[in-house]
Amino acid sequence: MNAGRSARITLLVAEQAARRGARVGVVDVCTAAVAALPVGGAGVSAMSDTTACHPLCSTDVVSEQMEELQLTLGEGPCIDAFAFRLAVLTPDLRTDEVRARWPVFAISAIEAGAAAVFALPLQIGAISPGVLALYADAPVELDAEELADALAFADAATLVLLDSRLEEPDAFPAEGPPRDGHVEDLGGYRAEIDQATGMLTVQLGVGIEEALVRLRAYAYAYGRRLADVAADVVAHRLRLPPDPDPDPDPDPGPGEGGAEEG
Amino acid sequence: MDEQLLARTFVELADNLVADFDLIDFLRLLTDRCVSMLDASAAGVLLADRNGELRVMAASDEQVRLLELFQLQSDEGPCLECFRTGAPVTVPDLRTQADRWPHFAEAARLCGFGAVQALPMRLRNEVVGALNLFRAAPGPFDPAATPLAQALADVATISLLQQRSAHRSTVLNEQLQTALNSRVLIEQAKGKLAERQGVDMEQAFTALRDYARAHNRRLADLAHAFIEGAEPLPGLNT
Repeated sequence: MNAGRSARITLLVAEQAARRGARVGVVDVCTAAVAALPVGGAGVSAMSDTTACHPLCSTDVVSEQMEELQLTLGEGPCIDAFAFRLAVLTPDLRTDEVRARWPVFAISAIEAGAAAVFALPLQIGAISPGVLALYADAPVELDAEELADALAFADAATLVLLDSRLEEPDAFPAEGPPRDGHVEDLGGYRAEIDQATGMLTVQLGVGIEEALVRLRAYAYAYGRRLADVAADVVAHRLRLPPDPDPDPDPDPGPGEGGAEEG
Repeated sequence: MDEQLLARTFVELADNLVADFDLIDFLRLLTDRCVSMLDASAAGVLLADRNGELRVMAASDEQVRLLELFQLQSDEGPCLECFRTGAPVTVPDLRTQADRWPHFAEAARLCGFGAVQALPMRLRNEVVGALNLFRAAPGPFDPAATPLAQALADVATISLLQQRSAHRSTVLNEQLQTALNSRVLIEQAKGKLAERQGVDMEQAFTALRDYARAHNRRLADLAHAFIEGAEPLPGLNT
């Protein structure tokens, strides 16, 4: 049952949001992951190479403590997952190997009531806004299906985090954001989207994360498929409007007015 | 079959596997060598993501990459069939396959390809992708070359295991995920460089790869640094 994993996970996340009666947020990814996987808690921390990281949400006291603990100590599975941009799977925190790797964290985590941690980096190429971590109070291994689901939850969290920036009104051209809380899954990801994102960093003079936010914002605003908009950008049929933000931009890029060309 | 070239290719691939390993660069090398050794006009490697959908990981040129993408989009073609059945698919004359794959046969013809062979990439009991060889002229594939092509497909599969790091548990799923993400990274860097230099995607890839090799850098690391603005790529000529 591989087909449609992203779609299934997206639905689970949307159900949690509906239950809360709110727009989809990273907390919904966490609660949906806890419901679907053999773990007791989950949390998402925003991370960056340049600024201090901070916890965004957690589903229970243990996961909250675990998020805080790693950020305070500066060591642990989440820190490593972000630093190496790799999933760090720790099915049992009580092993010597774990203790040797994170001496302080290993002991504090067990005291806090955790026995297993699975830390998954949120990433789309060079875009890496944080880490999703899953916690269990007893040692547990994720099987291949569960791990694939966990990775899909991480993808969902990545897009939700990026989409949360769409609420900033400046991210949109004229029409404003759609109201359906639609979360596009990554299953249909194609090279043109990544290439267009890279191109936009130059055209708009923005970072890679902002470039993808802008690309998605444009697709939403004009009701077009992301892949189609990306293909137009790559083929130079479309040039996104320059920064709609009235604040002066230190590096505005070569973009000129007018959304459509040719 | 040029046996010296064959020997050199395996030495080169093995060198790459033990040295500072870069999957994307390695797969591209592999597709390029498929072309030079196996009398193919073009070659591509596709890997399945965790949705079970194939994605293009490497292609010997941009045209074949587009054709591979086309197969994925129209959901038909030899590569998909090979991936789904786990068995090799050999088509000596694509003109005879208009009923089997109407969209793909036409697209391949427009790209100038007359014959295609798709070989499964297997890891343990799982089919994780496919290696595809395209040839301009229709005609039978050399039966002696097929085991060799399959060996190259197997080497490509084994290379995925090289993605492991000493610091983590390794699971196939996660290795594929890492591989796919490095592909995304390279595409983002290609886009940025292509736009900055006013070149096409293929030229941008070649420039990035040549720069990485000349400076002994992993392609994925270089791409990351370039996107982050930490690597201005001085002296880059495209």
